[in-house]
Amino acid sequence: MSTRLTFVLRIALGLVFCYAAYTKLRQPWLVFAMSIDAYRVLPPWAVFTVARTLPWTELAIGILLVSGQFLKYAAPAASLLLVVFYAAMIRAYAAGGGIDCGCFGVGEAVSSMTLVRDGALLSCSLLLSFLEYRPLRPHASPPVSSPGVPLAR
Amino acid sequence: MKRATFICSLFIAGVSFAGEPQNAAPGGKALGNPQAPIRIDLYSDYQCPGCKWLHENTIRPLIQDYVTAGKVYLVQREYPLPIHAHAHAAACYACAAEKIGKYQLVGDQLFRTQDAWEKDGNVAGAACSVLSAVEAGQIRALAISPEILTLVNDDIKAGRAEAVNGTPTMIVTKFIRRFPVTGPVSYPVLRRFLDSLLN
Repeated sequence: MSTRLTFVLRIALGLVFCYAAYTKLRQPWLVFAMSIDAYRVLPPWAVFTVARTLPWTELAIGILLVSGQFLKYAAPAASLLLVVFYAAMIRAYAAGGGIDCGCFGVGEAVSSMTLVRDGALLSCSLLLSFLEYRPLRPHASPPVSSPGVPLAR
Repeated sequence: MKRATFICSLFIAGVSFAGEPQNAAPGGKALGNPQAPIRIDLYSDYQCPGCKWLHENTIRPLIQDYVTAGKVYLVQREYPLPIHAHAHAAACYACAAEKIGKYQLVGDQLFRTQDAWEKDGNVAGAACSVLSAVEAGQIRALAISPEILTLVNDDIKAGRAEAVNGTPTMIVTKFIRRFPVTGPVSYPVLRRFLDSLLN
């Protein structure tokens, strides 16, 4: 059951990350920089650095999740990114919104809908991380022969 | 032969007319040269804090460095949000001020005194405080006229057509490429983007 759930979660999250990266990479990086800048949490030099690197990071995480490689690192990395995004979005929403979410390209304002969607994605990635790191159940112990009863040869 | 000469003269007249810079009036909603390589349509709400921030920190230097230099044609549009009780009235006063060539002056004042009129609702007082008694009387009458109401509603319709979903929103256009930018973008970041488009 948990193997199937892990499979579904990693494929869904991986595709979302790949799509998010694609929507950012298909437009000039400075357009994404303006979306980040509108949150007003980073100085310009950091805005430029994040705008150049974040889409590629999302793409790398997405590919790792879809392929199932290095899942122990990709799942927490996805969770960490989503926690940061979610915190920034809540801050922007509490301040009155009116800014571009920047989640999937441009043209989508931060709203209750985007918060619900990113909250769901964050929950999925946290669950995936939990499934990857939870302690494995010990296997059933092998049958032990009782004294005096010879094992079949 | 006469016909060919007439067509040639029409063509030459057209070229010379197109090449002539036509700067929009400084007191109007549109600023700069309409033939500038970049056009920015700015959808703004006078009661929105992000719009105030953008106006004071980004639009002012933008006008100074790019609009005056003929690189950007800036069209300011009203987009009062329904959640802001006095935003529509403020937009009407700003549009009324445009009719007497004082749009920028009144717009600056509305943003500067946003905190005050947002609380007491005295938009007219804030808008008229930078005008003479005669001008104040004029815009008080104009602000409630159907003509101004139509102007504001036309801007709102244009914003809806552009799928504006928050304020401030800038629609940056270069040739056929359009980039909607929502939120209070800082001047250094916007400047770098505009320079990349110009180069």
